[in-house]
Amino acid sequence: MALDVQTRQTDSGVTVLAPNGRLDVAGAPMLKDAIGDAVKNGVPRLVIDMEGVSFVDSTGLGSVIAALKLVRSSKGGDLRLAAPNQQVRVVLELTTLDRVFAYYPTVEDALTDF
Amino acid sequence: MRTPSLTSEFSAPFEFHATLTSLDDALDTLHDSIHRLRERTGGAVDDTNVMLFESALAEIGANVLTHGRLEGPADAPVEYLLRLEGHTALATFTDRGPPLHNHLTRAMPEPYSEAGRGLAIARQVLDELGYEREGEINTWRLVKRL
Repeated sequence: MALDVQTRQTDSGVTVLAPNGRLDVAGAPMLKDAIGDAVKNGVPRLVIDMEGVSFVDSTGLGSVIAALKLVRSSKGGDLRLAAPNQQVRVVLELTTLDRVFAYYPTVEDALTDF
Repeated sequence: MRTPSLTSEFSAPFEFHATLTSLDDALDTLHDSIHRLRERTGGAVDDTNVMLFESALAEIGANVLTHGRLEGPADAPVEYLLRLEGHTALATFTDRGPPLHNHLTRAMPEPYSEAGRGLAIARQVLDELGYEREGEINTWRLVKRL
């Protein structure tokens, strides 16, 4: 099952990426490409809308960590996760990455004050 | 008095077998096997535990299908078996790839590391994670009470 990633830009200049499918060893390269494209276009403030992500594995998490490092290397750049399902939240907690990523219940919440 | 076997709650013993080749298809197959297990148990097991088992299964499966094939053919077959014994899920992956060393002792890497969490996740969520090399055959064994 390939991961499909939709990208949109908000009026305030935040890029919202919405992957759909499994963010795993097979799907992670698609998200990585979409993030690479998004970061080329100005200040990298990204929200990853996880609502459509049914499952995440360690390689999928690795692609999100790579994105976080990439955006934070630019002044004013940051990344927020929105609407992770229970499996994603549990894996973030198991790996203690819940301390690294701010995650929000909805995209709207993630966009507030961003 | 003997306690009735927990398997009696399920309509029939559950067993799923597949030969895995390409990574994408193999991952679909692994998730499909868990979907079938959920259907068979019909809510008689803890769904969070099934989810954790699925996470471990995907980690070990991806590991066997990628790292385990670095020195051999990219589509070398891996035999996968999932079965339920009472409320305990048991899965095995068997392949003829090169031997793996020191994988089971890996700790969770530091937060900003982009790789190396798969086996640590599996070890954390499973009741038992075993690897053995017998002759030219690698066998991974994953066990979790659901």
